[in-house]
Amino acid sequence: MFCTAASAQMPSVDSPASAIGRTFTPPPPMPSAPYGLEQLDPSGPLFPGARIDGSDFGGTPAPVYVDGEMIAEQFSMETEVQGYRLEDFLTLAAQNNPTIRQARLQISAQTAKALQAGLYPNPTLNYIGEQIGVDVEGDKDSPGEFQGMTVTQRFVTAGKLKLSREKYMRRAHVSEHLAMAQQFRVCNDVRIHFFRALAAREIVELRKELLKTAEDSAVTARELYNQGQATRPQVRKSSIALQRARLDVLSAENHYRESFRRLVAIVGVDLTDGVVSGDLMPQGEPLSYQEAMSLVLTESPELAAARAKLAADRVTLSREQVEWVPDIVAEGGAGYNFEAKETTAAAGVSIELPVFDRNQGTIRQAQLDYRRQQEEIRRTELMLGQQMANVYQQYLTALQIATEYDRVIIPEARLAYQELLESYKANRVDWPTVLDAQMDYFDSRLTRVQHLEQVRTNEVLVRGYLLHGGLMAAPGPTPPGHIDAVAKPR
Amino acid sequence: MSNTEQRRGFLKAGSIAAATGFVSNLLGGNAAAQHPILNSPSPTLPDSPTLNSEYDGFSRFKPSRGLDPDSDYYIGKLVPGFRKASDGPAPFEAPDVPKMPYKMDGGVKVFELVPMAVEQEFHPGVKMNVYGYNGSMPGPTIEVTQGDRVRIIVTNELPEDTFMHWHGFELPVQYDGAATLTQNPIKPGKTKVFEFDIHEEGTFFYHSHVAMQEAFGQVGWFIVHPKKVFGPPVDRDFGLLFQNFHIPPTHTISDSWAMDWNWHTINGKSGPYTTPLVCKHGERVRVRLLNFSPMQHHPVHLHGHTFWVTGHEGARIPKSAWVPRNNELVGVAQASCFELIANNPGDWIFHCHMVHHMMNHMVKQVGPRIRDDASVDQYLANLSSRPQVDASRSAKFDVPGYPQKMQGMEMSSDFMKAIWSRKEVRGMRANYPMSVKGLMTVLRVLPDDLYDLVMNSDQDVEKGAVFAEIVRRFGDPSKYEAAPKMMM
Repeated sequence: MFCTAASAQMPSVDSPASAIGRTFTPPPPMPSAPYGLEQLDPSGPLFPGARIDGSDFGGTPAPVYVDGEMIAEQFSMETEVQGYRLEDFLTLAAQNNPTIRQARLQISAQTAKALQAGLYPNPTLNYIGEQIGVDVEGDKDSPGEFQGMTVTQRFVTAGKLKLSREKYMRRAHVSEHLAMAQQFRVCNDVRIHFFRALAAREIVELRKELLKTAEDSAVTARELYNQGQATRPQVRKSSIALQRARLDVLSAENHYRESFRRLVAIVGVDLTDGVVSGDLMPQGEPLSYQEAMSLVLTESPELAAARAKLAADRVTLSREQVEWVPDIVAEGGAGYNFEAKETTAAAGVSIELPVFDRNQGTIRQAQLDYRRQQEEIRRTELMLGQQMANVYQQYLTALQIATEYDRVIIPEARLAYQELLESYKANRVDWPTVLDAQMDYFDSRLTRVQHLEQVRTNEVLVRGYLLHGGLMAAPGPTPPGHIDAVAKPR
Repeated sequence: MSNTEQRRGFLKAGSIAAATGFVSNLLGGNAAAQHPILNSPSPTLPDSPTLNSEYDGFSRFKPSRGLDPDSDYYIGKLVPGFRKASDGPAPFEAPDVPKMPYKMDGGVKVFELVPMAVEQEFHPGVKMNVYGYNGSMPGPTIEVTQGDRVRIIVTNELPEDTFMHWHGFELPVQYDGAATLTQNPIKPGKTKVFEFDIHEEGTFFYHSHVAMQEAFGQVGWFIVHPKKVFGPPVDRDFGLLFQNFHIPPTHTISDSWAMDWNWHTINGKSGPYTTPLVCKHGERVRVRLLNFSPMQHHPVHLHGHTFWVTGHEGARIPKSAWVPRNNELVGVAQASCFELIANNPGDWIFHCHMVHHMMNHMVKQVGPRIRDDASVDQYLANLSSRPQVDASRSAKFDVPGYPQKMQGMEMSSDFMKAIWSRKEVRGMRANYPMSVKGLMTVLRVLPDDLYDLVMNSDQDVEKGAVFAEIVRRFGDPSKYEAAPKMMM
């Protein structure tokens, strides 16, 4: 290989007998490939050529002629490689992401709580033996005056149980909104990581194109050197550029793998490395800021959950407001009166007198919680507004940049490259100028992809109510301030 | 059979029959062609008491010097042409440059000159945006005779001011055209009339006196023939006007502010699109060469002949001061007259010897052009993904300096068709366009019959046929190798 031969001719730079400046010294050799590049490319150390879909680059692809006309080879990125599409990942995530199930379980937990809260209190069976051992006529140490059984039943007043059940049913409703939010979190994350992986894959392809240009520049520098038109430091500079381009390919490859693995983690399945396929360019019309804000303020599940929680808090207040209404505890039963030597009945009714404790503290607390929740809704709206300001700005900037790259910059760079190629063919420009244009063209496509990635990730957030974090535990419906102080939920 | 008859017979039989004979022998590698054919016609002289074929050891029909450097005929110095002095001056001929018509108005020759933006075709299909006059760059030739009075009506069609300078004329100062020193500018759309007597003779030129307009191409010949024809009379009076431009790749507009020059033209064409000068064997030829490059001097070299420098743009040089040369350095805004007896038949390259002027827009010889099995078409076939470079280098690269020869130059079939469409190039070697580049043209010295075949007949002439016939008659055909056929 060329680099081997060049190495063999290389005099040691440290050698006092260096021939530099005395007679012809061959150009510096190509640097060998960095660690990991061989794994990408089994074809040789200099030029990694394996595509991510596993197909090989030829050494130099020969042009294809059909009926005398050259057929353009389709760019590998545009070739629709059969890979995982966004819909596949969304379906898989719906089935496998644990937080979605967590969120559903939260709803069930709340309905179970509601069930429990509305259950009527059980009757109490009492055994009563009164004044055991009292002396009665004819019998010292009698079994007592009264021996019998009573049943006590608490009669709940003021619809406390109904209110408690309604309260927890409303919390279940909050959980439903939160589950919806969680679904958006997961789906948005899947989309974001999908587009990141898609962009990463396109960047790998473009980095490989840039590597080919760097390889060409390295070869060109050596050709120029051979004609006395480049210095040894310039050739070395081309080696540096080549090595950087190689490292860029490796980084891009690593980044793609990372993106894919992160995506797979969100989805919740174990997949080996694979290929994502899709289109980075948004299909729909761009969203205005007013549309985006109106969408999030009217449809955000977080906001809906906060509003539902306000309704639950209203019921909580109602519930606490009736808490002081005394229940009636009635007791009744029968026994044997050993004094009267006959069977007698017992009955009693008790009622708590709300003299001191009219539950006024808890009612106050519930009132404050209710007001707190009103502020929570406002806080949520403002927080969403603040996040939207940031996300929309990133979305808009990236969209403007990507659109102009797509509309003007890349076509212009492509035409510049084409015109210089044709000029080179007509012997009017030299190859380094063509390489510069080629690098500009590939580099501008790289920038376009980077901005499209920003467009798509931010667009997902804008359209997806700013929800993300699909692997955070699904939150429950009870933020700080809820009242669950007793064993029996009320 | 006389030589004249032989020539006539050659023409009558047509090139397909006659030319095929010598062409196929030479190009086809026929064994019989290894021996010179001894029927080549030797030149004849018209019946004239003053014309000889040899003068003091100098032959007008074969390369020779003469016997005595002090002789009037040394290297053909005063050997007359076939044309008689009494016939007046030989018509001035600047290939590819039109002549400016005139009207007589009471003894005054009236010319109309229009400075304007023009499109000039440097190469077939390569049309460049420059300034010129009357739709031409260089402007059309004004041709007058010493003693004429001229009126030149200049109407400025440029969108900016211009000035007209009549370079070298000793005229009344108000007509000199030096910007604002002597006159106000000719405003866009306005007309200015110049009228003066011409007492000089020689090679003059007119040009804009705005520097960048000059650099942008505004110049034209102003030839003044002497009232009394100079001796010895010449048969041909050719004009070659050299210019340089800087026109960036992919562009057509010349950058007149550039310090570097990448397009070189002779009479507005760049080699190989320059039109050869064609003359007959034995003729006395004058070439007036004007260098109107912005800042490049040109050492101009004619192959196969030694010429006398007989005049510059100032005036005819007294014969005692003539200088024989092979290479004449012509400075910016200088004109030199070369005179020679065309005694060596063949296609002789006539070129500036500056390496960078021997081709257009020199580019570094790197890239697919010098790589094995690589072509630009592969890149053009798919702009989205470029082919992988093959880094293996052949042993050629072990030689320091490789490559120095221009490689992989491509000329399209349309280009070649246009190059070969002109009668002046008929019968030249098949790959002549590969060698004539930039500031280069060709002086073709042809025997009468071949001259007629090339310039006057309608017959098809195979590429290389005329050249091969010259080799057959005057050279060593057994050692001759025809040019390989190119894409034509």
